[in-house]
Amino acid sequence: MANTVIGSSIVVDGEISGEEPLTILGTVKGKIAAASSVVVESGATVEADVEGQTVTVSGKLTGNVTAREKLELRPESKMVGNAKAPRIVVADGATFKGNVDMDV
Amino acid sequence: MADKETVIGIETRISGEIRGSEDLVVKGRVDGKIQLTHALTVDKGAVVQADVDVKSLEVSGTLVGNIVASESVRFHPSARVIGDLASPRVMMEAGAAYRGRVDMGDIEAARAAVAARAVSRPAASGGAAVRERPAPPRVSAPPKTAAIASKAGPRFVAPSAGDRTVTAPATASTPPSFPRVAGAVAGSAPSWAKKKVRRR
Repeated sequence: MANTVIGSSIVVDGEISGEEPLTILGTVKGKIAAASSVVVESGATVEADVEGQTVTVSGKLTGNVTAREKLELRPESKMVGNAKAPRIVVADGATFKGNVDMDV
Repeated sequence: MADKETVIGIETRISGEIRGSEDLVVKGRVDGKIQLTHALTVDKGAVVQADVDVKSLEVSGTLVGNIVASESVRFHPSARVIGDLASPRVMMEAGAAYRGRVDMGDIEAARAAVAARAVSRPAASGGAAVRERPAPPRVSAPPKTAAIASKAGPRFVAPSAGDRTVTAPATASTPPSFPRVAGAVAGSAPSWAKKKVRRR
């Protein structure tokens, strides 16, 4: 398993940075800077500024998100914060509060 | 519970604190602190610069920091470890490099003291401590050992005690004792540990 997984009963308080896909099922507070994808699974809580190639949210995310390629808010997801990405997908059922910047 | 185990991948770095109640495998880098009620594995190539408080620990990579493992610690041949270590079972394989102080006796007393403090009988444990402190000079060996053990608990939690620096020269004699440590693992660690505590 080359990827990084933060399990459902894990709490990370600090900064996560890396070159490989990151999957979060638990709690992360602080900052996330990934060169690849970031997935916030349902049940996960992220209170952090997030930077990644693609950012997919199914859980709860509080913080500013910068996705170099795409930000996707899945149904049931909750996001509070500013979103910056060239492509943003908000599914039916997703909750979002914040500014959107799509570089137009 | 979690369908996926927690893995910090090869190219991932976490600086900060990781807490949790599931197994954690570090293949990348962690700086800060790791606190788990389960097992921690520091894989080959991984670098962990953190104080570690876990149930069991397996090291194949590099670990710098103080270790408290309530169950066991195993250093694999490729392990490179620096830091003080407290655990009732310690296994070091040939090839592992380690520098630090090993304590196989105090951990349970430390845990018991912490648990006693956390659980709802602070008066009982506090009273016992007060009664036992003046006891050592005049009472026979077993209560004395208990008193030392109960004193040793808190001392380990706060790793600043001058006692440690005094016993530091003993670290030089630690390597020869490793075979004995490995042998003691097979037998009953607690009695051996108690003997050691009394000797000190």
